Amino acid sequence: MIDISLFVLMLLGALLALAVYLPLRAGQLSLATPGFYTIGGTVAALLSTQLPGLGGSDAVYPLTSLLLEMIVAIAIAGLLAFLIDKPVLKLRGIYLAIATIALVEILRVILLSSPWFGAAVGIFAIPQPFEGPEGYLIAYGLLLAIVAWACAWLERQPLGRAMAAIRDDELAARCMGVSTNQVKLIAFVLSAIVAAAAGVLAAHYFNSWNARQANFDASITTLAFVVLGGSRTWLGPVIGGLVLTALPELLRPIGDLRLIVFGLVILLGPIFIPQGLIKAKQS
Amino acid sequence: MSAATSTNNLLEIEQLSVCFGGLQALDRVNLIINEGEILGLIGPNGAGKTTLFNVITGLTAPSHGQMRWQGNSLAGKKPEQICRLGLARTFQNLRLFRELSCINNLQVAMGSNNRRSALELLALVQLQEKAEVAAASLAYGDQRKLEFARALATKPKLLLLDEPAAGMNPIEKQDLQALVQRVRCQFKITILIIEHHVPLMMQLCDRLAVLNFGRCIALGSPEQVRRDPLVIEAYLGSQR
Repeated sequence: MIDISLFVLMLLGALLALAVYLPLRAGQLSLATPGFYTIGGTVAALLSTQLPGLGGSDAVYPLTSLLLEMIVAIAIAGLLAFLIDKPVLKLRGIYLAIATIALVEILRVILLSSPWFGAAVGIFAIPQPFEGPEGYLIAYGLLLAIVAWACAWLERQPLGRAMAAIRDDELAARCMGVSTNQVKLIAFVLSAIVAAAAGVLAAHYFNSWNARQANFDASITTLAFVVLGGSRTWLGPVIGGLVLTALPELLRPIGDLRLIVFGLVILLGPIFIPQGLIKAKQS
Repeated sequence: MSAATSTNNLLEIEQLSVCFGGLQALDRVNLIINEGEILGLIGPNGAGKTTLFNVITGLTAPSHGQMRWQGNSLAGKKPEQICRLGLARTFQNLRLFRELSCINNLQVAMGSNNRRSALELLALVQLQEKAEVAAASLAYGDQRKLEFARALATKPKLLLLDEPAAGMNPIEKQDLQALVQRVRCQFKITILIIEHHVPLMMQLCDRLAVLNFGRCIALGSPEQVRRDPLVIEAYLGSQR
């Protein structure tokens, strides 16, 4: 029987996929999403366990504190994205991908080597704002709904169209008056914000948090969500995130073979449906 | 030359040179574009015509020389800034936003959601029925027209057209000529146009500038340029 926790993870996958999608819509292959996700989780874990004032010892962790964590995490991730944007987004294509992988690794090593952030052991006993997975399901559902709606809205705005124009032809976009650096910066910061917000909820949901959340595997998995789902509209990453998170669990009955099937899906998806499951719609 | 400018001079290009390694792509080019005119730029392949466009639109930095737009220097300006000053271009090898619909292509250039103006521009190039079609799936001639409309969508004062008739059949070329003339009157814009089709240029342009090996070898009315011995030599080789 499928556990309700799987649905929570599926929604988390969809959110991270949207975080990958935002820069990718502007032609930026950024794999930094797990890094900002980890920042969100670490901020939540630290605040809720270290600041008694937030109500970490209460029977039920207050939602207002959760909201406060989210604001702090979003601010930190957004600021970091803003600061590293200039050097990082000068790079293109695969070089940008490598630089963002390095960023995720740097974050991982910082967390791993600093007792402050829990070091190798991690941070435990993160207080629970919800009694069961149902609460997280609702919280993640709400967050996904907000982010997906915002992405859908953005796609119909000049900024969203400018992003797509950059992906199609950056030079032509500049010659048509699009401030490409500014557009790419906004996409990158928005992506960091979405990932950090998803991380805040994840730290509470998993009850513990450690440096292993940020790794190369996570970068590739979240990218696979978007590659399989499609990167032309917001619906593609959402579908990709939901399906690819569920797939390994649904394939559990076939044992070790499931990893092979999962790998095949990621391998064959781009070959047979290069645009992803959800094609571009004309709007 | 003094820095004094008359209001009639939209763009002044002074002693402009571009070197790519050892290649002198542009060699001390002087050119003044007057407001309201259609100035044609012709010359053999590799003469530096597109390079001149790239320098004007900020894609290539000049090695020497300067450009003044309505009296102000364009030095160090980025392509997007230059576009917003009122210079818009088309590309020799079409550079549309291929996955975007025609109307979205124009909306990107307008930087707004304004559907009505976008549709008006599409109607101008007779593409209003293709508004929701992806740019990539248009016929070649239609793609050229869309790129023309996209440049217009930035509300330019100076429109730079890089071989707008390339690959068009004779009827399309005639339509294009009529369109360029109409646009000049309707939008009160100045046009700098590169085109190999000389008869079309003779009819269309108020003045012609001829580039050869990066130098501007002739400048004047189409009739003057046609009789210029240097131009004849550049195109046909010297008489023995």
